Amino acid sequence: MDTRHLKIYAAALLVIVTLAGGCAKKIVKPNEAPVPGFGMAGPGAVLEGELQGVQTSLKTVYFDFDNYTLSPEAQAAIAYDVEVLKRYPNLMVVAEGHCDERGTAEYNLALGERRAGAVVERLTALGIPSNRLSTVSFGSELPVDPNHNEQAWAKNRRVYLRVSK
Amino acid sequence: MKISRLTPHPGTTELTNRLRFLLLWLTLIISVGCQPAFGKLLLDLDNPNLGKMPIMVADFSSNQPGPLNGAELASIIKNDLVMCGLFEIVPAPQPAPLNQNGEPDLNSLARTGAQALVMGSFNVNGNLLTVDCKLYDIGLQRLDLGKRYTGALSDYRYIFHMFDDRLLEKITNLQGCFTSKIAFMDDTKTREIFVMDYDGYNLRQVSNTKTLNLSPKWAPDGKGLIFTSYINRNPDLWYVSVDGQRVIPVSHRKGLNASGRFSPDGNMIALSLSVKAIPKIFIISTEGNIIKQLTNGLGNDISPSWSPDGAYMAYVSDQAGSPQIYVVPVNGGESKRITLTTSYNTDPDWSPRGDMLVFTAKIDGRFQVCVIRPDGSDFKVLTNKGTNQDPSWSPDGRMITFTSNRDGSKRIFVMDAKGTVQTPVSHVSGRNPAWSPRLK
Repeated sequence: MDTRHLKIYAAALLVIVTLAGGCAKKIVKPNEAPVPGFGMAGPGAVLEGELQGVQTSLKTVYFDFDNYTLSPEAQAAIAYDVEVLKRYPNLMVVAEGHCDERGTAEYNLALGERRAGAVVERLTALGIPSNRLSTVSFGSELPVDPNHNEQAWAKNRRVYLRVSK
Repeated sequence: MKISRLTPHPGTTELTNRLRFLLLWLTLIISVGCQPAFGKLLLDLDNPNLGKMPIMVADFSSNQPGPLNGAELASIIKNDLVMCGLFEIVPAPQPAPLNQNGEPDLNSLARTGAQALVMGSFNVNGNLLTVDCKLYDIGLQRLDLGKRYTGALSDYRYIFHMFDDRLLEKITNLQGCFTSKIAFMDDTKTREIFVMDYDGYNLRQVSNTKTLNLSPKWAPDGKGLIFTSYINRNPDLWYVSVDGQRVIPVSHRKGLNASGRFSPDGNMIALSLSVKAIPKIFIISTEGNIIKQLTNGLGNDISPSWSPDGAYMAYVSDQAGSPQIYVVPVNGGESKRITLTTSYNTDPDWSPRGDMLVFTAKIDGRFQVCVIRPDGSDFKVLTNKGTNQDPSWSPDGRMITFTSNRDGSKRIFVMDAKGTVQTPVSHVSGRNPAWSPRLK
């Protein structure tokens, strides 16, 4: 836990230093951010510059098979993310809902949407303004782990919070 | 593929006169009793004891050597007849024995057990192909169907599929659909939409969005497809003309715009929208305006499928805790759950005759293609190797296309409606197959 906090402080420091260094030197251009749903597969994908630290410090929220309820672990991850997001009130957040490969592509789209919705609902309840939040479901189309076993599936049933300016 | 280029030979009128005895032929088969009810193949799914008709297909002959091979042409026909599940191929003597009139010696073929013979000839003249195709009744020793087609050499497979459509019509009273196509998305990083002949040939890329694309479904006129795409980084519903030239947004509301299906008359689209947070089935106009919300409740509702008369909608909901298939009247009324046996049932597709739904069920931890009647009776499992899903009916209701990973990668398969013949057809990996309507 301590090292994670250190990471956040480091990220925060990076942001402050970058901002102090002059607004003219914007490293991140939203238009150049990776297109969600194309090529980049969730947690491995990071944005450049000062967003990077925030992005990597956010925890991914995981789910059980065919389920969109928030487990105690999922709620803890969201509570952690809320603390990070509160430090950067200008950042927008897209909750990207994902499923493992099993089942039907279309049903998994609905399931991913509900997972993303469940996370957004919780973020809102914990004080993140809803106008900063949106959802997108990728169903089972973008696994982080392409293997076909329970270990991979557990990693792929997730909501990834993608931040942008 | 210009059908106008394919003109029936004037001589076919004379032939069709002789074909008026077809009913007699069918009646005879029934009365002989060896292959009951071939005259009633319209009811093929209702007759579990229906046997397969033994049929012979001779290599096609040509007077001069050319770019086409007569055995390969015969194999197009054999493949069609096998894939639809109604025939078994009896090896034909090559070449077929002829009598003194130059006609096939049907008498000598009677001993083979085959009930019918297909044979013919072809002629290539430059870029033009002329084909004579004939169907003989071996038992009655009579020509039953004769067709001459002239068309572009490059359309040669299409020409033989056309004949097979007519052959099935002669034998079953219901035209075949071997000239129809299957759309699907490839199973690579970007999922572009492709269209191919039903048997996997003539693969062509339709979309070129370089983003995720999902769930292609045909417009009833066969001229375009609706699909869900992330072109604008959100799962929106789009239309693409089948030549890929026109790409038009249909529904781009916040959240899901998923699993779009044209109504049978083509005037409306059912889809799943999450405008109210929970994905629900809506009906919109083809311009994208909401006409009505069809489902309510707390479950995820997705994958609508219209009954052929447009009066009912099957769809998937997990309102009872796991995804199950429900049927609801489109003009208002109670939803009824029809799948009760297993814990995961998705992807319903209503048969063209309206009597069956094909869908995906999770059985013993894997996914299998199954059928069930709209009232929930007659549940049958059609597949058992690997994982099988995304089923879609052929327009004549005799075949089903689906995705299977039984050979390793995900490929598009075709099987007959009873699952007796299951064949991989796509030469590339793919998912989400959608069978076209009959194409004119």
